[in-house]
Amino acid sequence: MRTQNEIKQILDSILTKVPGLETQVSYSGEKNLATRFGENSITQNMGGEVENLRILVYKGKRSGSYETNRFDDESLKRLVDIAVAMAEDSPEDPEYVPLPGPQEYLDMPEGWNDDVVELGPEAIAEDIGKVVSAAKAKGFRASGLFEAQAEVSAIANTNGLFAYDRSSDVTYSTTVHGPVGSGKAEVSRNSFGEIDIDKMVQTAITNAEMAQNPADIEPGDYTVIFEPSAMLEFFAFMAWNMGARDADEGTTVFAGKVGEKLFSDKLNISLKTDVPELPAPIFGDAGLAVEPRKWIKNGVLERLRHGRFWAEKKGVEPDPTMFPVFMEGEDNTVDDLVKKCKRGLLVKNLWYIRYVDRRELLLTGMTRDGVFLVEDGKIVKPVKNLRWNESPIVFLNNIVAMSKPERVGHYAMLPGVMSEGFTFSSKTESL
Amino acid sequence: MKEYTNLALEAARGAGADFADMRIVEERQNRVFVQRRSLKLIDETESFGYAIRVLINGAWGFASSTKLNKEEVVATARRAAAIAKASAKVPKDTPAVMAPESKYVDTQVGPCEEDPFKVSNKEKAELLLACTDTMLNQPNIVMAVGYLQFIKMHRIIANSDGSYLDLTNYFANPHLGCYAVDGNESQDRSYQGGAKQAGYEFIREIDLAGNAKKWAEEALIKCRAEDTPSGVMDLVLDPMHLALTMHESVGHPTELDRILGWEANMAGRSFVKPEFVGNLQYGSEIVNFTANNVLEGGLGSWFYDDDGVKMHKFAMVKDGVLNSLGCTRETAPIIGWERSNGCCRSDDFEHFPINRIPNLYLEPGKDDSVTPGDLISGVDKGVYIEGMGSFSIDQMRNNFQFGGDMFWMIEGGKITKPLKKVTYQAQTTQFWNSCDGLAGKDYWKPHGVMNCGKGEPMQVMRMTHGASHTRFRNINVGGAKI
Repeated sequence: MRTQNEIKQILDSILTKVPGLETQVSYSGEKNLATRFGENSITQNMGGEVENLRILVYKGKRSGSYETNRFDDESLKRLVDIAVAMAEDSPEDPEYVPLPGPQEYLDMPEGWNDDVVELGPEAIAEDIGKVVSAAKAKGFRASGLFEAQAEVSAIANTNGLFAYDRSSDVTYSTTVHGPVGSGKAEVSRNSFGEIDIDKMVQTAITNAEMAQNPADIEPGDYTVIFEPSAMLEFFAFMAWNMGARDADEGTTVFAGKVGEKLFSDKLNISLKTDVPELPAPIFGDAGLAVEPRKWIKNGVLERLRHGRFWAEKKGVEPDPTMFPVFMEGEDNTVDDLVKKCKRGLLVKNLWYIRYVDRRELLLTGMTRDGVFLVEDGKIVKPVKNLRWNESPIVFLNNIVAMSKPERVGHYAMLPGVMSEGFTFSSKTESL
Repeated sequence: MKEYTNLALEAARGAGADFADMRIVEERQNRVFVQRRSLKLIDETESFGYAIRVLINGAWGFASSTKLNKEEVVATARRAAAIAKASAKVPKDTPAVMAPESKYVDTQVGPCEEDPFKVSNKEKAELLLACTDTMLNQPNIVMAVGYLQFIKMHRIIANSDGSYLDLTNYFANPHLGCYAVDGNESQDRSYQGGAKQAGYEFIREIDLAGNAKKWAEEALIKCRAEDTPSGVMDLVLDPMHLALTMHESVGHPTELDRILGWEANMAGRSFVKPEFVGNLQYGSEIVNFTANNVLEGGLGSWFYDDDGVKMHKFAMVKDGVLNSLGCTRETAPIIGWERSNGCCRSDDFEHFPINRIPNLYLEPGKDDSVTPGDLISGVDKGVYIEGMGSFSIDQMRNNFQFGGDMFWMIEGGKITKPLKKVTYQAQTTQFWNSCDGLAGKDYWKPHGVMNCGKGEPMQVMRMTHGASHTRFRNINVGGAKI
């Protein structure tokens, strides 16, 4: 992969080719491995390296942009020529905002480890072999994706801004099917060495064993305990709706709500830049420096995300990114939440979440890979999957208790959450 | 390019490959994106790369590169072979084999009357800005979005069967939508015609500017409409709405890789089993689904799939009975089928080709005189739904809940008032078996879907669906928590 100096030279050389025009150039490069398996065998096994250059040229308030993955001299010349020609031909943008100048980037934990760059397909295949062996020993069938990526990104502009960042990621995900029911496990880390494959295998097999032979259950309103993995996408839908301009125009549930208490006192959500378990990017939109943000404090909506144009119009600082998001938890385990629950459902994962009513942030989706009836502080039995219709606003207002947050995927640290009055609307035989 | 493909196939054979192919993909894309009265994006992208796929002793290896020179091609082929050897550490119970296929040498170019890359970006931007301006000038419209995307995809596929294919396709993908706000209510309405394999002539045909005012007015009508009724009632669904319903409940469940469990970790599996072919009453007797990868303008009409199989047309559901499955050269032999029906595609040079939904549509009714009005007149209490909205289905493709883009109450055989926030819930075969009316072929319309997500890492694929207006009896409406 190219070094920081090599990338800077490329970006600088492109900027010199467009004298007199405000220009931004960005670079992204990735080395990746991805191995898929299904029904206890490897079904796809891929490896590659890609890199892209993107240019954005302004001529006054007119703009044009071009992207290529070709780096020869002729292609770089075309990159500039076409973007300049497009800028000359495009209508003016009334929401044009000048590109930012040099930034002071925070000193943050780096999400990079060389062991990911050095990783080969054999090591990944060996780890898949451990999952498959454990599944076969139980008469189960394992499927999944084990992948590794090393990514480098950089941005420069004619106002003197330059930023460089790099991150590595290893994500292992597996679903284990028994005869009647399934369990899932997923782990994501910035280093191959931090992946505990044995623990992951044990989690997947245990979840699959627990989920076998689920009983019928009627839909209705239940107390639920969402494991952190179930929280992720449900929570993400809310985060995607936290744009300031959309709220100001009245199209989201947060219209006119900044400063109001919408959630449980227990809810605190922020963007942190000092957490080694989930490093934040150094820069965001247009190369702006990423800084800590508090979005929700003790249940009060403190701030919504402002893009550069809306921030300028409202006289506030822009928010270069919403992610990664951090939700505070409590000093419990998910098992502790189960012990606190008189009657409810423990939900391992959700699936196919979509809007029902965007303005109210009413969502629908299914449970997947394990739902369990809890009575008097104990898991009584697995139950069949259910369709739900609920809003994360209601869910996060009805919090009873939470576990300690943990990293889920690439962009969130979330706790398990116990919440009351969650609405399930229909059932399915699908397992 | 032949010198490179020959080199790749020779290197693969030298590494012990029983089957190998090299797929070179060059893609050019042009996008114009307008939000409110602001031009947010005007750009072009180009991408070039290739992948070499090798099957060695029944295990797959796949490696991609963007550097086309002799040394790199050979190195990529050897990397693919090394990856295949890693795959063999967790072998299949039955080693993978490819169903036999003919050798094809062919050059094809898809439909494109007016090259979109020769139409000025200014013209495209001004069209969208005029549309969003029209929408924003209507009462209560606070947000309007317009989007045009054009893709030229050029593939060269050479494989160890001796095939050499040079294939070019053009895609045109428009969008226009808006949001109205009325008090604490906000509703949206948008263009519902989908995408098409075509050039810029498609944008001129659909008349976005001429419809912008109507869609904006209907967004406000939705805001002020009554909420969904609740209970068991009949539905009449328009072709644009049905595109998504059939995509989720017929297209995905009939993908053979899902049925075999290969998508279990992400997209899910299927309630369909191979032995259901010829036996499962998927729908009522008037339900006929056709898979047609030679459909003119169909987004999935790629001439040959990425396995090198010549695309064709076949019945997926015939007189209500499941008749076939979508398969690939690898999946077909697993269930004892001799040949693939050409459903293997990849969305990019760097992604492994997988089993994808073909162009798939519901045939119109046999009586061409039947109109949508006839279907509505046969409903005592129900809802007429236009366009796509909310959609969600379980991982086995049974339980689903759909919304729509525009809703109308049907009472006593007539449309009586607009509605909002309508959803309906059903199980797949229950739903298609409740179908009792189809409008004639004059009302049949295609709808191209550009964003079908499947696979890991995620691949986004294109295909076209189609239907005439269709009636369903006794469906559960309004079960969501409104």
